[in-house]
Amino acid sequence: MKLTKNDNLSPELPNFFQELTASPKIKIPDVSRRQFFKISTIAGGGLALGLAMGTSPKAKAQAGAAETSSLSPYVQIQPNGRINIFSKNPECGQGIKTGLPLIIAEELDCAWNDVDVVQADIDGSRYGAQFAGGSLSTPMNWMAMRQAGATARAMILAAAAQQLNIPVSELTTSDTKVLHATSGREWGYGDFAELAATMPIPDAASLTLKTQDQFKLLGRRFTGVDNMDIVTGKPLFGADTRMEGLKYATYTKSPQIGGRALSFNEDHIKSMSGIVDAFIIDEFGSPKVFNPGGGDMFSGVAIVADSTWAAIKAKRELEIEWDLSDAEQASWDDLVNRAYALKDQDGEPLMTTTFGPDGPSTVAASKGDAEAVLQNAATVVSSFYEYPYVSHAQLEPETCTALYQNGNCEIWAPAQIPQSGETGSAVLLGIPAEEAADRVVLNQTRIGGGFGRKLANDYVFEVVAIARRMEGTPILLQWTREDDMSGDYFRPGGFHSYTAGLDAVGNLTAWQDHFITSTGNDQSPMTSADLNPNVFPKDVIDNVKLTQTMFHNAIPTGPMRAPASNAFAFSFQSFMHELAIASGKSHVDFLLDTLGEPRLANPENPQSMHTGRAANVISEVARISGLDQESGEPGRAKGLSFYFCHSGYVAQVADVTVSANKEVKVHKVWAVGDFGFIHNLSGAENQMEGGIIDGISQLFNSKITFVNGVIQQQNFHQYPLLRLPQAPELEVAFLEPEEFSPSGGGEPSMPPVLAAVTNAIYNATGERIRKMPLFELGYKLV
Amino acid sequence: MATLQINGQTMDIGEIDPSTPLLWVLRDELGLVGTKYGCGIAQCGACTVHMNGAPVRSCQIPVGNLTDQNITTIEGLAAADGSLTPVQEAWVEIDVPQCGYCQAGQIMSATALLENNQNPSDADIDAAMSGNICRCATYSRIRQAIKNAAAKMNGTAFYDAAQTGERA
Repeated sequence: MKLTKNDNLSPELPNFFQELTASPKIKIPDVSRRQFFKISTIAGGGLALGLAMGTSPKAKAQAGAAETSSLSPYVQIQPNGRINIFSKNPECGQGIKTGLPLIIAEELDCAWNDVDVVQADIDGSRYGAQFAGGSLSTPMNWMAMRQAGATARAMILAAAAQQLNIPVSELTTSDTKVLHATSGREWGYGDFAELAATMPIPDAASLTLKTQDQFKLLGRRFTGVDNMDIVTGKPLFGADTRMEGLKYATYTKSPQIGGRALSFNEDHIKSMSGIVDAFIIDEFGSPKVFNPGGGDMFSGVAIVADSTWAAIKAKRELEIEWDLSDAEQASWDDLVNRAYALKDQDGEPLMTTTFGPDGPSTVAASKGDAEAVLQNAATVVSSFYEYPYVSHAQLEPETCTALYQNGNCEIWAPAQIPQSGETGSAVLLGIPAEEAADRVVLNQTRIGGGFGRKLANDYVFEVVAIARRMEGTPILLQWTREDDMSGDYFRPGGFHSYTAGLDAVGNLTAWQDHFITSTGNDQSPMTSADLNPNVFPKDVIDNVKLTQTMFHNAIPTGPMRAPASNAFAFSFQSFMHELAIASGKSHVDFLLDTLGEPRLANPENPQSMHTGRAANVISEVARISGLDQESGEPGRAKGLSFYFCHSGYVAQVADVTVSANKEVKVHKVWAVGDFGFIHNLSGAENQMEGGIIDGISQLFNSKITFVNGVIQQQNFHQYPLLRLPQAPELEVAFLEPEEFSPSGGGEPSMPPVLAAVTNAIYNATGERIRKMPLFELGYKLV
Repeated sequence: MATLQINGQTMDIGEIDPSTPLLWVLRDELGLVGTKYGCGIAQCGACTVHMNGAPVRSCQIPVGNLTDQNITTIEGLAAADGSLTPVQEAWVEIDVPQCGYCQAGQIMSATALLENNQNPSDADIDAAMSGNICRCATYSRIRQAIKNAAAKMNGTAFYDAAQTGERA
């Protein structure tokens, strides 16, 4: 695995993001690249409905409207003067389809009401990396989108100067208009569209970007560009794809993960009403391993039918004989027992790879001498924490549509890494990589919730395999909820055995973590099951010992919202609260003393935590929540937590009441975030609000278990999600230090709240919670 | 030849397996794809439609049982000229949706609530909306949107800058 260091990316990102963005095929967007063709259909909505089988992007482009003037891959001017702004990345609820075009519109200096946002084609040569993950869409594209807008504005101004025969220095812009102050005249951008599209593309260095005080749009609240279509039920999502001759499919895999289908009751299934075909597809690749671009898929039985219901009804009558020789055997309870037996032991040293002038080298991640310091510590605290596997449970079950014909494949997918969906489909179909761009085309639909599940493209590969068998017939694959919940790339469960030392004045001086996790290859942890060797508090204290034990267990795992952090934050920040109590300091003071002076925690890593920004969100949330005030009510208290991940700083305080029978009411959660400059306030608030409730829901109710490789939960009655009556009041605020450019809020908003609630429960009751989910400890969220 | 009364129109659904849930008839036979599949067991509410004005889970209603029932789906709420209902307007203004997948069901439940009760208390909202899961967890905005829609219906609509406009 070649890993190229990328300073623009947060260190906690899974390797595949680093690889994706380091891939030579995926370049950072280059807005100076000339558009040689008049592009793209302008049909509203994201779906190319009933598109004829023109799979090459150029064929599609030529079939599109020719009257539109294209200034760049991001900006077109319509004949009526309205502006098309192309949104490059998948929209999964993170608000990027609104957020990125807003940035372009700002520098283009156009009125937001004059803009139509269009979902861009998947085309790495024009748009660079197009994916939704890692809270990266905003930070990776912030400058590129500003330059795209400024470039188009400069071209419009140049065209206006030439067409009007007025020096460009006398022209300015405002609200989609070119202004000439000397004469008081003004013109719409559309008046110069045709000429602007022929103007030389200005050098990026010649562009003058706005300063923050010149922003007219950015920083305000903007509502989602698809809201009208959502509230009126327009086709937007993956399963809304419709075309002539469409057939509907289900796909059934082995309940014991990794079983291969040998035979099934084919005659009976095919005799059922509405069934077109039914067949076995063999396993391809290594589907237990999370690999978005590999084409990997499990063996199973496909049923193709005239309607979704006919396919589901037949699926229920399937009797399949499985070869279970390579199937998973692991049981969660067994892993738990083995982990607790290691509670008081160390594991193998956790290693870390560093990049020096002589290339990468692998060294132990520990630093200082934690053991010696612990021997002399005034106070030593040890605790063991457990958290379970969880399912993404996005509300849209996996679905995808594909048409395979004449050796080419067109796909309509709600995919978080659509480019890898194309690449992997080409692998699966045996299409050479150099022909893949012309022979596999993936159309983006809106994603009905991702949370990381649709970073994997297994459901894309499944429908591609079915469509190849059904050549010439478009196939819509619909997973049932049961397929989804038992067929996830789960958030892995794990264990931390902590020991920490405090000196005589209660300062944290040593930290030991024995991390227990799962491995499929007996060499490295499963995806998102690894401990970042630089995780907090390593950068801020001198003596840290990190060890690891891996159990063999290849139940598929993958990234979920705030990968790793979503599980670690609960245990780290609960344990930090334990230490705060042992120190005799207030929780706030203990955290601030541990963070120390404002600085970049690791001066060699610009993506490491800035302790001053961390301290500021902690202090501010303590202030607005009145953290130090006693409730005066029995069983009621507040709890604090803080976490830094994905370049974002979030501190949260929960106010809870715990009744005698362990019913927990979360009255309110206060959150203070620092994601740098917030360019769409409504979007940022939405992410914070959703992240908080997502975290509370997981804390109380989410647990996936497996017995001999069989997932035990199938649907929401066994895996309940938080509902409206349980949702707390929320108060969200942002600190926006001017010197820091925007980072993303989707992921850092979620991790802290779990420990905020458990710390509040401790403060209310004295009971320390060291295991999730809380329902297993008798607690009930009300 | 079976017909259904959907969004004020008589719709022909041809010869169909009477066990087919209304959800799949809407989506696959009639092209009304605004109603969503989420769980198939009436746990999530994404498939909520109105039957004679009452919210029901369309994944649980076999089409064979639907003679003479009036069905309304998300596509049938807005007026013929495209103007939105107060609930839809409030949903857009408050920017409720994140991914948006559950919102058709949420809006159908909220619409049914407000048709019977134009001054819902928080407890009324809890009771009416507890069958609809929002995995993105837009619950606080859903609650506020229902209150704003009620205010619109009562003629006391307000423009709250803290929710929809500029920064405080």
